[in-house]
Amino acid sequence: MSARETPGDLLTRFDVSPARRRKDKIARGGILAATILALIPLVLIVYYLLRKGLSSWSVSFFTTDPTGNTFFGGSNIGGIKSAILGTIEMVALASAIAVPIGIGVAVWLVEYGRSSWFANTVRFFVDVLTGVPSIIFGLFIYIVLIVGTGSSYAGYKGSLALSLLMLPVVIRSAEVILRLIPGALRESALALGAPRWRVIFSIVLPTALPGMVTGVLLAIARAAGETAPLLFTAAYTHQTNFNLGGFMNSLPVQIYNDVTSPTTAVVNRAWGAALTLVVMILLLNLIARLIARRSRLA
Amino acid sequence: MTSDGSTLRTADVEPDDLLESGQARSPEPRPARPPATAPAASSATATKPGLSVRLEGLRAFYGESEQVKGVDLDFRANEVTAIIGPSGCGKSTMVRCINRMHEEIPGARAEGRVLLDELDVYDSSVDVVAVRRAIGMVFQKPNPFPTMSIFDNVASGLRLSSRGRGDLHGKVEAALRGAGLWDEVSDRLQEPGAGLSGGQQQRLCIARSLAVNPEVILMDEPCSALDPIATLKIEELIAELKQSVTIVIVTHNMQQAARVADRTAFMLGGKLVEVGPTQEIFTNPTDPRTEEYVTGKFG
Amino acid sequence: MSPASSANDASGSTSLGGPDDGAPPTSGPQHGRVHFQQQLQELETNALGGLDLIVEQLDRVLEALDHQDVELAQMVIADDDRVDGRYLEVHQGILSLLALQAPVAGDLRLVAALLHMIKHIERMGDQCVNIAKLIPLSGHEPPVRQEVLQALSKMGAHARSEVVQSKAAFAGRDVGLAEDLVRQDREINRLNREIFRMALDIGGDDADTREWAMHMILVARALERIGDNAVDIGEQVAFVVTGLFREFSDSSHPAGVRPDAAPDASRETF
Repeated sequence: MSARETPGDLLTRFDVSPARRRKDKIARGGILAATILALIPLVLIVYYLLRKGLSSWSVSFFTTDPTGNTFFGGSNIGGIKSAILGTIEMVALASAIAVPIGIGVAVWLVEYGRSSWFANTVRFFVDVLTGVPSIIFGLFIYIVLIVGTGSSYAGYKGSLALSLLMLPVVIRSAEVILRLIPGALRESALALGAPRWRVIFSIVLPTALPGMVTGVLLAIARAAGETAPLLFTAAYTHQTNFNLGGFMNSLPVQIYNDVTSPTTAVVNRAWGAALTLVVMILLLNLIARLIARRSRLA
Repeated sequence: MTSDGSTLRTADVEPDDLLESGQARSPEPRPARPPATAPAASSATATKPGLSVRLEGLRAFYGESEQVKGVDLDFRANEVTAIIGPSGCGKSTMVRCINRMHEEIPGARAEGRVLLDELDVYDSSVDVVAVRRAIGMVFQKPNPFPTMSIFDNVASGLRLSSRGRGDLHGKVEAALRGAGLWDEVSDRLQEPGAGLSGGQQQRLCIARSLAVNPEVILMDEPCSALDPIATLKIEELIAELKQSVTIVIVTHNMQQAARVADRTAFMLGGKLVEVGPTQEIFTNPTDPRTEEYVTGKFG
Repeated sequence: MSPASSANDASGSTSLGGPDDGAPPTSGPQHGRVHFQQQLQELETNALGGLDLIVEQLDRVLEALDHQDVELAQMVIADDDRVDGRYLEVHQGILSLLALQAPVAGDLRLVAALLHMIKHIERMGDQCVNIAKLIPLSGHEPPVRQEVLQALSKMGAHARSEVVQSKAAFAGRDVGLAEDLVRQDREINRLNREIFRMALDIGGDDADTREWAMHMILVARALERIGDNAVDIGEQVAFVVTGLFREFSDSSHPAGVRPDAAPDASRETF
């Protein structure tokens, strides 16, 4: 800063030109407009859900099974209890399958495979799978486990389809989290004289846990909302069923069936079910976020 | 300073001076040689002796690139040896070969022998995990395990090795005392390790290494991330620790090497240039390259 | 540190050169610590300049002795302040350098040698003052004996050349030149003994003459001390260059040159 500059000169050097200000305003306006545009459908969905779904909510809505008496107006059509429970059961089983396997694959990719050609191939295919439409998974299970074996629909087959859906998501997010763990941590543990597997189980995984839980919850949320795979695998039934070997109801399928019904009450029930599903997923997301905030890495 | 009224100062007069004044000298003490370095803490007072380490023809590679080009070096038991040299001279790589951490990097390998008191740690029959228990390591950036409390951090080495778990409390306390941390944390052992200050975290890492009772501790620039006071505390700690372990310290800070080490080795371009008592290296190095490096003409 | 040149300002040469005369040779690339190297160089030049002061003082006091010039002697005494001032300056510079720059290895030895050197310079200055003080003591019309005066004159010349040579040896890091100082110093010692004997031989009843002779012994003694200090500076040269400290012994003394102690077996270079 030369001594010959007066305070006035300095001000002009640092002043923002009017042209800059204009551009700034235009850019801001544009981004704001895009945001609002994107929010509109979201808001509309929420609005419709609430308006049409809330009216169906009642205690009996949550505690009774659908009765299947949908043609005669005035008859009791029942609630969605079996759908809720069915979703919970199938998604739980799917998670039980997908999560350990997914985390296992992620651990292998990060700790052992690293940048070998095989690991990179695996990563490639996992990426591909994340983009595969969910109906494909349903069809795959259908062909292999239903047509191929000549057996019928079952809850666990639905779970399998869902787990295939969840797997790539779990692997991806777990791998990202594991990568975030500083190598220094693994180094210190190794330098203490711990075998590698011990380092992974006792140091790496516990440290990665909060972040991985987030990823897992998101995968679950996605699985809970998929209809297509369940159509070909778990089919549909009215009763609450704790036997995963038989047909099982689920929220997406329930909605699918109800929405095309001519009876208004049934359609309303569909909306109520949709709202329920959305709320369930919302809850899961909130839990994921709370856990993420408490974790140090995610 | 100026001579007073008398023409001769009494100090100048010695009995034979007037005649055989060829021998007359001012009476300043004249050591023939600079005094030798004080020896390292005698092993007679060591609570448990450390072991010596000897490198024979050590070479280290990252893929095809050779970073350490044939080093023969002795680290004496219960002494602190400092390794100095400009960036990229291979000192960290060399030290990582000692506890076989170098090979954990994909594509990295080492050749040659590393003898822990006559046992070659690179011998095919040797369990690398056992080597790392005997040769501990403290890294540049303090890194306590984030999910663990102070107590768990120190105990982690013992738990991970699934051996010698008896009296965990006693061992943890001994380790924390050895690292000079006990007084500061004894009342909050269950608090997270990451909540300590930088200097304390590094001492925690030292305690963690001490808990598994190693014979050698390797330190890779342990103080470079710390403030001066924390650095001094750790240097004092090193001076005490050498009674029970052999210490090898890699450092960029020559003053630190000068303060802390019994012997200093200078490396350049993957090779060992000179090694000797620290006092010699810093007052009268033999190799001109050493002279240039320590006087700051390059590096 | 190999000397780039060996400035040979040995005995007889009158020119002491300009301000760059005392600049030490460079040793290898000097990328780093340029400021520090400059400071070190300045310090050395300053210290070596003290030797120039000594030569001046010596010249003047020898002339004063020759012509019994009391006023010149007074000037020499007064000007010792300059020597002391130089001592303080260099001393302060050394302390500062040690505290701020933490010199090591060759630089450290140089600093230590400079510290010794200025001490010797200061002593030499004091010896000049001692000589100067002896002149008026002889009275204004001293009973002079020419042979003694001539011997003293020769001693003075040797002492002067030793001082000049010590400066050259240090500036050029020339160990050979430094060791040669011993040879010249032997001359001084011989002359010293000669003067002593001459003084003894001056008998006679004249108390003044005998007293004068006694004083001349003291002058000789002071000149001999100056020579010794110059040899000491030569020893510092060897220390800076080799890192070993050994006394340059007078070969007339049965002790002989002390051999360098065996190099530390634990030191290895590759």
